[in-house]
Amino acid sequence: MSNVKIKSKNLNVYYGDKQALFDVNLDLNEKEVTALIGPSGCGKSTFIRCINRMNDVIDICKVTGNIEMDGININDKDLDVVSLRERVGMVFQKPNPFPKSIYDNISYGPKIHGKGETKSELDQIVENSLKKSALWEEVKDRLEEPGTSLSGGQQQRLCIARAISVNPEVILMDEPCSALDPIATAKIEELIDELKKTYTIVIVTHSMAQAVRVSQKTGFFHLGKLIEVGKTEKIFKNPDNKMTQDYITGRFG
Amino acid sequence: MTKEERLKKRHQAEKRFRFYGITSIFVALLFVVILVQNIFSKGSSAFKKTVITTEVFFDQELLEIQNGASQEEIMDADFYDIMIENLIKAYPAKDRDEEDELLKLFSGDAEIEIKKAFLNDNNLIGKTITLDLTASDDIDQLHKGNYPRDLPEERRRISDFQLVIYDYFVENKKISKNFNNYFFNNGDSRDPELAGIGGALVGSFYSILICLLLAFPVAVLASIYLEEFAPKNKITDFIEININNLAAVPSIVYGLLALQILLATIQLPRSTPLVAGITLALMTLPRIIIPCRASLKAVPPSIREGALAVGASKFQSVFHHVVPLALPGTLSGTIIGLAQALGETAPLILIGMVAFVVDIPSSPVDPSSSLPVQVYLWSESAERGFVEKTSATIMMLLSFLIVMNFIAVYLRQKFEKRWN
Repeated sequence: MSNVKIKSKNLNVYYGDKQALFDVNLDLNEKEVTALIGPSGCGKSTFIRCINRMNDVIDICKVTGNIEMDGININDKDLDVVSLRERVGMVFQKPNPFPKSIYDNISYGPKIHGKGETKSELDQIVENSLKKSALWEEVKDRLEEPGTSLSGGQQQRLCIARAISVNPEVILMDEPCSALDPIATAKIEELIDELKKTYTIVIVTHSMAQAVRVSQKTGFFHLGKLIEVGKTEKIFKNPDNKMTQDYITGRFG
Repeated sequence: MTKEERLKKRHQAEKRFRFYGITSIFVALLFVVILVQNIFSKGSSAFKKTVITTEVFFDQELLEIQNGASQEEIMDADFYDIMIENLIKAYPAKDRDEEDELLKLFSGDAEIEIKKAFLNDNNLIGKTITLDLTASDDIDQLHKGNYPRDLPEERRRISDFQLVIYDYFVENKKISKNFNNYFFNNGDSRDPELAGIGGALVGSFYSILICLLLAFPVAVLASIYLEEFAPKNKITDFIEININNLAAVPSIVYGLLALQILLATIQLPRSTPLVAGITLALMTLPRIIIPCRASLKAVPPSIREGALAVGASKFQSVFHHVVPLALPGTLSGTIIGLAQALGETAPLILIGMVAFVVDIPSSPVDPSSSLPVQVYLWSESAERGFVEKTSATIMMLLSFLIVMNFIAVYLRQKFEKRWN
C-alpha cells in the first residue's frame, strides 16, 4: 500500500573527523510510523536531523549523499531550509515550549509562514492543532498562560501541537517520551497512532515496547550503520541479523 | 583511625570552613561600614549651608533704578552699595578695618543674593526685608563645628574680632543652617560656600548619555553577531580573546587614545562631555559585549531548535526568541557597564575635564566637569569647606551607582524567564 515518502541514499554524516553515519539507505513510507532503535550514540538522532536539516546549525557537521522527499533531494545546498522545515516538523527529546503563552507557542509557526492572516484564522489553527494533539480540553480556558507552566506531558503535547500547526507532511520525533512518566507516554503514543493517519512519522526511541506499539516499520542502527530495517513485527519476532536479535532481547545496548 | 574519629574530623573541617567564611564576610562588611561611615560623617554637613539673617533696606539713594524696574534694568543695576550699607549694620563696627572684617563673614555672592530678592519683588525700594544671606566658608565651617576656634589667632583664618561677631550672631539667633541649594545648582567655584556639583552632574549626565547611545547598539549588535551568526573559526576566536583583553585594558590607556585621536587628530573640543562620552563608550564597549554574550549564551539551545524546527529562519529564531530572552541580562550588563563608566576618572583627566569650569554646560560640546573628576579636583583643594564637599560628591556618585545597580538587579530578577 505504502508510497515511499522519504528515501535516503548513501547518507554519510561527519562531525569534524568523526563519522557518525555510514552509507545509510532507508526508505520511510507515507502515513506510517517508522521507529528507529539502537543503543545511544548510534546515529538515530543524527539521521532524523538530516531530514529537516537541523544538522546545519552544527558548524562542524558535514552531510554527504542524498535524502529525497517526494523525489527531490533535500540535502541540496540550494534548498531553502525554511520551507523544508515547514514541511518537516520536529518534536524534541525534552519538551521545549517557548517561554510564551500557549497560544503564542502554537500561533508562532503559522504567523511566520503567513498562514492565518486574521485573528480568527489563527484562533482556528490554534484550536485545531491543540485538538489534534489532544490538549485542547485541558488548556482551552487558559491559552494565555505560559506554555512552561504545563506539566511535562502536556508540554510535549504542546510541542507536538506546535509542530502540527504549520501543517507539515512529516513529523520527526526524537525520543519524545524519554522525559515523561508512563501515563503521559501512553497519551503521546495514542496521539501518534491518531496522527499517522495524516502525517508521515519518524520516531527515535529507546523503548522496544514503544517501537512495537506505535510503529509499522523499524530500523535498527548500530555504530552509525543501519543494520536492519523491516516491518516492525518481523524485526521484533524474527530478525535476520544476529545483532538486532541481541539488541532487542537486551543482550547489549 | 577509627570510623568515629574520621567522622569527627570531617565535621570539624566543615566547621572550620564555615568559621573562615563568616569571618571573611564580617571583615568585608566592616570595611564597607567604615568607608560609608567615614564618607557620611564628613559629607552629610555639605547638604546644609550656614546663613546669616540680615535686614536689608533698599535705599532709593543708593540705587539708580525705580520701583517696577524691568528684569534687564535690575540685572544691569549695581547693588554693591546697598549690600555694603546693609551688611555693615549687621554688627556695630567701630572703624573701616572692623567693617571689612564684618563683610568677610558673608559669601562673595551677597550682592547677587540681594539682587535676586529684588528680582522676585521689584517694589522693595524704601522697604526693609529680612534675608538669609549665605555665610562665608570660614563661618560656615565654624558653625558646623569643623573649625577649631581654640587655636592661637595667628594660626586661624578667623580673627578674634570675627569670632566676637559670630558669637553675637549666635546669641541673637541670627545664624542658622538652611538646605544647601548651591551645592546642587552651582558649578565649581573658588569659594567653597558657593561651589556646587551642578556642572559636574550635567557633565556626567551628557557623558553617560553619549556613552550609552554609542556603546549600547554597537555592543548589542556585535554580541548578537558573534554569538549567533559568526562562524566559529580562528578569526572569531581571535576577536573573542581581544574583546576580553580590551575589557582589562587600564582606563587611562583609553584616555591617551582619546587625547591623540579625538583631540589632537580630529580636533574635537577638549574638556567636553562629547569627547568624554566617546572615550567612555570605547572603554565600556567590551565591558558590555561580555555580559551580552553571556546572556545570549545562557538561552538554552532547545529554544533556538524549537524555533528553527517550525521553520523560522536563523534571523527570526534569534530576534523573535533568543534576543527577547537575553534582553534582561543584556540590559543589566549595560547598566553595570555604564555605572563603571560613571565612576571613571583617569581617562577624563587626560582629555582635559580637570579644567576649572564655573558654568553649567548647556550642551555636550561645552567645557564641563564630571562627578568623579569633581571629587578629584576638590580633594586636592586646601580649603576646609571642600573636604565636606568632596565627601558629599562621593555620596551623590555612590547613590547613583547604587540606584543603577539596583535597577540592573531588578531587571534581571523581574524579567528573566525561567525555563523548565
